[in-house]
Amino acid sequence: MKRLVYIFSACLFLFASCKEKTYYYEVNDIEILPNNSGKTKQKSVEQFINIAYANLNQKALSPDQLVDITDVIASIGDKQIAFETIIAKMITAPDVAIPPDSEMRADVPLFVVETYKRFYVRFPTEAEKTFWVNYINSHPTVTPETVYFAFATSDEYYYY
Amino acid sequence: MKRRKFLKKAAITAAGSIAFPYLLPSGRLFASGGGPPMAEHVVFVMFAGGVRQQEAVEKRYLSESQGLDVEGNIMYNMLSGEVPELKIVYGTDTPDGQPGGQPISPILQTPLDQQGILFKEVRFSSAGTGHFTGLSTGVSGYYGTTQGLQQRPLHPTIFEYARRFGGFKATDTWFIGNGIGNSTPLLNHSEHRDFGWEYGANFFAPTITFGEKGEQHLKGFKSFHPEEELEPIEQMRYFLNQNFLQNGGRIPHLNNTEEEKEDIKAFIREVFDRKDMGQLLFPPVTDNGDLATVGYATEILRYFKPKLTVVNMSAVDSCHESYTSYLKALHRADHAVGFLWNYIQTQVPEMANNTVLIVMPEHGRNLNSNGILDENDWFAFDHDSDANSRRIFTMMAGPGIDGGLELGSEANPIGDASDVVPTIAEVLGFKNEVLNSGWLHSESKSLFDQI
Repeated sequence: MKRLVYIFSACLFLFASCKEKTYYYEVNDIEILPNNSGKTKQKSVEQFINIAYANLNQKALSPDQLVDITDVIASIGDKQIAFETIIAKMITAPDVAIPPDSEMRADVPLFVVETYKRFYVRFPTEAEKTFWVNYINSHPTVTPETVYFAFATSDEYYYY
Repeated sequence: MKRRKFLKKAAITAAGSIAFPYLLPSGRLFASGGGPPMAEHVVFVMFAGGVRQQEAVEKRYLSESQGLDVEGNIMYNMLSGEVPELKIVYGTDTPDGQPGGQPISPILQTPLDQQGILFKEVRFSSAGTGHFTGLSTGVSGYYGTTQGLQQRPLHPTIFEYARRFGGFKATDTWFIGNGIGNSTPLLNHSEHRDFGWEYGANFFAPTITFGEKGEQHLKGFKSFHPEEELEPIEQMRYFLNQNFLQNGGRIPHLNNTEEEKEDIKAFIREVFDRKDMGQLLFPPVTDNGDLATVGYATEILRYFKPKLTVVNMSAVDSCHESYTSYLKALHRADHAVGFLWNYIQTQVPEMANNTVLIVMPEHGRNLNSNGILDENDWFAFDHDSDANSRRIFTMMAGPGIDGGLELGSEANPIGDASDVVPTIAEVLGFKNEVLNSGWLHSESKSLFDQI
C-alpha cells in the first residue's frame, strides 16, 4: 500500500513538473498575415485561374473548366488582356459571390480589409486603408464588382 | 584657320551622323540607308507543316511519291499548271459520295506565281527540320540549333525588329497561330535581352479564342462603362500596381497601350457578334483548322489593318500518317492563300495594292516514305532532315515586285529560309537596321538582293 502511494505521488510530481504555464497579458489575439514584400513568384496560369475562380465564386473550379480556360488564355498573346477578359467573364456568372453595394457602403473599412484578405491574403496598410475608404466614399459609381475586378487584374494578384 | 577648323568639325559631325545610328527615347533606331518602304503592309504566310517540293512547285501529284503516273497542280491559286486528271482525292466529297472527288474552285483568276516572284528552290540550310525550329527560323531569320521546345526564339523576331526599328505599335504587328500546340504561342517575341516582350506582336490562336472554348469562357465578358466603371477601375488598379511596383513584377504583357487593350477587347466582342450574325467572311470551303485560322486572320486584317501579319498553317503535317490527307490539306492551304490575297485586295481598301504577300513553308519533307499506308494504299512521309526536307520555295507578290518571275532550280537554289526576315524588313523600310543588328543567320540576306 505504501509503495502504491509512493508511485502515485511520483507520477503526480512528474506530470505537474511538465505542465507549462500560460501567461495572459490582457491583449487581443491578432491574425498574422504576410505583407506584399514577400510576393516574388509568379503564379502559373492554372494557379491564377483556380485562385481567381475560388475568390470570386467561393467554390472550386472543375478540372475540365480549368483546362479550357487555360487554353483560352494561351490563345491570347497579351496576358493582361487575357486575364482581364477571363475575369470579366467570370464576374458575369450568376453564382458569383460578390457582396451587394449596400453591404460595402454600410461598413467600408471592413469591406476593404476583407477584400485585401480575400485577394491579397494580407491586411491593408493604414495608408492603403485610408486611400480605399476615401476613394469608395467619394466615388458613388464604384461598386464591389469594380473593386473586385481591379484587385483580380492587378499585378500583386498575379504573384505570391 | 578658324574656318578650316569649323569645316573639319562639321564634316566629322556629318560623317558621324551618317555612320552611327541615333537611338530615339522611344527605342526607334534611325540608321543610314535601307531605302523607303516598298509597301505599308506585309502579310507573311507560313505555309507550314512540311511541304514536299514534289507535290508543290514541281506539280508531280502522285508520280514522285506513289509510283503512279499521275501528275498535275493542286495549288492553282498559287501556281500555274494543269490539274491532275486522274485519282482526284484532294477536294471535297462529291454528291455521289466520292471522297475528295470535287476539287475546290480557284479563287484567284491569275495565280500568284504570275502576279509575283517564285523562288522555286530555297534551302532550309541549317538545324533540324522540326516544326518549331522551322517556324522560329521563319520569324527570326536565325537557325536556333540550340533552340528548345517550350522556349521562345533565342534571337529577335521580325515583330520585335518592326516595333523597335519601324516604330510600330503593338497592334500593328500580329502573329496568328493555327493553335496553341507545338509552342506556337511562343513565337510572337523572343527572349532576347535587348528586345523581348516589350516589342512583341499581339497573338491569337483564333480557333481557340473564338472556338468552342472561347464561346464558353470568353464570349459575353462584361463590358464596363468607359467613364462610370472603367475609369475608376483603372484608377484603382493604378493605385494597387504602384504599391506593388517596388516589391514585385507585373503581369506579362506586350506593351499595348490602354487604348490598344480596349481596342483588342472590342475586337473580341465584335468577332463573337459577327459570328452570331453569320457575318464572318470565311473561305468558301472551311473544313479544316488552317482555313478557319485564315478566316479569322482576315477579321484581324479588316479591323486592325496591321503593318505586319504572320499567319501560321500546319494541316499538311497529317502526311506523317496519311498521304491522302496531306494532299487535301495542301489543296486547302492553297485555297486559304488565294482567299487571303483576294480578301486583302477586295475587302480592305487600306491594304489593297499596298501589301506584300510572302508565302514560305517552314521546311520540306523526306524523299522516302515512312512505310505507313493510308486508305488509298498510298505511302506517308516524315521530315527527318534529309536533303529533300531541306528543299522549300518562297513566293512574293505585291507593289514593286515583278510578275511572272521564276528563280532557282534544284541544281541552283536561290534563297534561304532565313531570308524572309530581312526581306520583310526591306519591304517595310528598316532592312539595314536588321542586317546591322547582328542577330540574323550569317548568310541571311534580303531576297530582293538575290534577284
